[in-house]
Amino acid sequence: MRQVRAIYVVYLVVILAGIIYCTALGLMGR
Amino acid sequence: MRRFFSQNSLSLAFGAIFLATLVAQALSGVADFNHQRVADGLQQVSLLRYVTSATFGVDVMENWQSEYLQFFLYIFGTVYLIQLGSTESKKPGETGTETDEEQKVGKYALKDSPAWVHAGGWRTSLYSRSLGLLMGALFLLTWAASSVSGWAAFNTDQLMSHEDPTTWLGYLGQGDFWSRTFQNWQSEMLAVGSMAIFSVYLRQRGSPESKPVGAPHAATGQSG
Repeated sequence: MRQVRAIYVVYLVVILAGIIYCTALGLMGR
Repeated sequence: MRRFFSQNSLSLAFGAIFLATLVAQALSGVADFNHQRVADGLQQVSLLRYVTSATFGVDVMENWQSEYLQFFLYIFGTVYLIQLGSTESKKPGETGTETDEEQKVGKYALKDSPAWVHAGGWRTSLYSRSLGLLMGALFLLTWAASSVSGWAAFNTDQLMSHEDPTTWLGYLGQGDFWSRTFQNWQSEMLAVGSMAIFSVYLRQRGSPESKPVGAPHAATGQSG
């Protein structure tokens, strides 16, 4: 189950990183 | 290693397809973007400039938000809504959050139930809704992100056509924001409704999203 948890964490991190990245692009007015 | 792939092939395969299609979106997106720039008599932009633009950001986020809205509504909706004969539905009469015994909480918790099931109180209550709440939170965050990146992209277009830029709140009242929102929502709602009703009469042998091939049409909530 440790490997399953690793995939779970990677999914969450990728999703949150995407949200932060796209928000930052908007805030920087690029 | 082989066992790792075989035991996690669903999430790994879809994760890989996600990355590949995101790259494909960037490549086709920059081609389309530059096509428009040439038509407008402007200089073309590099792939790097494109993937660090709010135009790319809003195109990604507007689709993400609708997916998480779909799952949020589906997860909470299927607690209370029924479709007779569907694999996606509980049986008529089983609506609601069910008993502690059925849900294996409180004194019915198993020895190896998750820690927050044994914890009781607010932690069990929160954990009991955690999947839907995460989808709801991701929907709100991605929708907010799409509004912020959409606002910047909208203002870029406004300035290029010598029109006044708008505030973020002003953008929330623009047709651009709501058109992007609703064009994604409508497709998700159609897909969910289609899945709920098509699974009554049609089968996919071996898929847990389908009933067993020989299951009667009236059988609800079965998966094979």
